[in-house]
Amino acid sequence: MHIPDGYLDPISAGVTWAAMLGYGYYAYKHSDLSKNMEMILALAAAIFVAQMLNWPIPGGTSLHLVGGALSAILVGPFDAFFVLLLVLVVQALVFHDGGITTLGANVINMGVVAPLVGYVVYKALRRYGKFWAALVAGWASITVAGFAAGLEIGLSPAFPYGVAISVPVMTMWHALLGIVEGLITALVVVYLSKRAPQYVRL
Amino acid sequence: MRRLVLLLIVLALISPIFGVWLANLIGYHEPLDVAADMINEAAGRPVLQDIRYQINWTPFIDYTVPGLPDWAGYIVSAFIGLAIYYVLYQVLVARRRRVKGVR
Repeated sequence: MHIPDGYLDPISAGVTWAAMLGYGYYAYKHSDLSKNMEMILALAAAIFVAQMLNWPIPGGTSLHLVGGALSAILVGPFDAFFVLLLVLVVQALVFHDGGITTLGANVINMGVVAPLVGYVVYKALRRYGKFWAALVAGWASITVAGFAAGLEIGLSPAFPYGVAISVPVMTMWHALLGIVEGLITALVVVYLSKRAPQYVRL
Repeated sequence: MRRLVLLLIVLALISPIFGVWLANLIGYHEPLDVAADMINEAAGRPVLQDIRYQINWTPFIDYTVPGLPDWAGYIVSAFIGLAIYYVLYQVLVARRRRVKGVR
């Protein structure tokens, strides 16, 4: 999910950076950072370490938690933006995991799209049970974030074949991987709901 | 919170099992790299190229630490990341609480 440097042209990189900053200002206005900072930092630290636990899949790829839907369910979509922003900035600046030119796109995919989709889906399905709602929310968050990444790559002039190639490949691939994201999201949400419900906002 | 800290320390210590050992065993690629390979294959030429190594600025690229074996560098990297969040916690939460407590 982390788009590296080189995948986006300068204009696409600039536009996605501007969108990240614009949404960041909107999220800042709609969140309560001073009240929730402890939880935001705790989640950022947990997701940072969780993302280092790659689960290799025979065939040569791997899975790790993204945590967008999980963060949104726990602290709401606007505070979740800052959780993922903190994770992605540390990963990009300190470990060059995800590009600096593509930071805007990565934050949009994992810090905006994934939490918003996860939040909306979980809220809509919660009445059918927390486990299934969180599972579908986690899956949908990764699938739509993959779609967004495909769109960004496909719309970039650096990629001359357009969205017709990039979007289906990215969406289908992430729809498969999203099953594990959904499962982890569901297990954590159900566990916290039982053991520490004060940490679950929705 | 203490439980979370303990959990994070344990996860950091076992992280090389997943991020280094199993990754080397199976052949690790980011899902996006796999998708990029598919896209490049569909396009018939390399149109998406990762240039991170050409423009790198950090000694800790890919969670490595110069001079350390990959597994140890991975653990140190995990603690570097956690240390950053700990410092942020001290600056943004703990210090503010202390100031409020004094007042």
